[in-house]
Amino acid sequence: MIDLRRGQIDVEAVVDGVRRDDAGAIVVFLGTVRADPGVGALEYEVYRPMALRMLEDLAARAKSKFGAFDMAIVHRVGRVPVGADSVVIACAAAHRKEAFAACTWAMDEVKRIVPIWKTEARTARSRRKRGRATSK
Amino acid sequence: MSKGHMAARRGFRAMHVRVRFFATYREVSGTRQLTWSGRDGATLGHLVDDLITKFPRLAGYRDTMLLAVNHAFVDPSVRLREGDEVALMPPVSGGIP
Repeated sequence: MIDLRRGQIDVEAVVDGVRRDDAGAIVVFLGTVRADPGVGALEYEVYRPMALRMLEDLAARAKSKFGAFDMAIVHRVGRVPVGADSVVIACAAAHRKEAFAACTWAMDEVKRIVPIWKTEARTARSRRKRGRATSK
Repeated sequence: MSKGHMAARRGFRAMHVRVRFFATYREVSGTRQLTWSGRDGATLGHLVDDLITKFPRLAGYRDTMLLAVNHAFVDPSVRLREGDEVALMPPVSGGIP
């Protein structure tokens, strides 16, 4: 499963998408929106056709490079609140070592080359503080 | 020979490509997309030069600009073709592993 979606990610469904009887390990990575000071949410912008193509390619390369059986990558776009999952990667392999390695590599590649940009959406309190600071 | 063919032989034929701007570049240029017309055989580098003339604030981003044609990263030396889709993109989100 490769997807870019606006709503909440159903992690269980992503995991089930790669589940298979000959896998001895499924590694799941969740990237979540961290509550940095003043940050209420992250806003993700994507170049959809290119990002989908690159995610498909990444999953295929992860399988051939690490011998993983299957990989699913789902990324949210638009506004994602603090604490919510912004990206989910699930990787199934015969053994945990390949599954961990493929998952780590794929997430690094997503951050490095897939055309997705994030901007911080400030909390109302932080905006008020900033407004006061700049009005002086 | 038609006028169109003669113009093509002389290299004067106009080419139209769709240009898309993302993230910071969308804010800097004030547009999401536009249609760029250039001479047949123009390169992506020519297009970028032209857009920097049109939107001078893009100049400061040139060194880190990511360029794609038809959804694949390419070098500025690549020749454009009628109907191509070009994307001007800032570096992607990155982050600490």
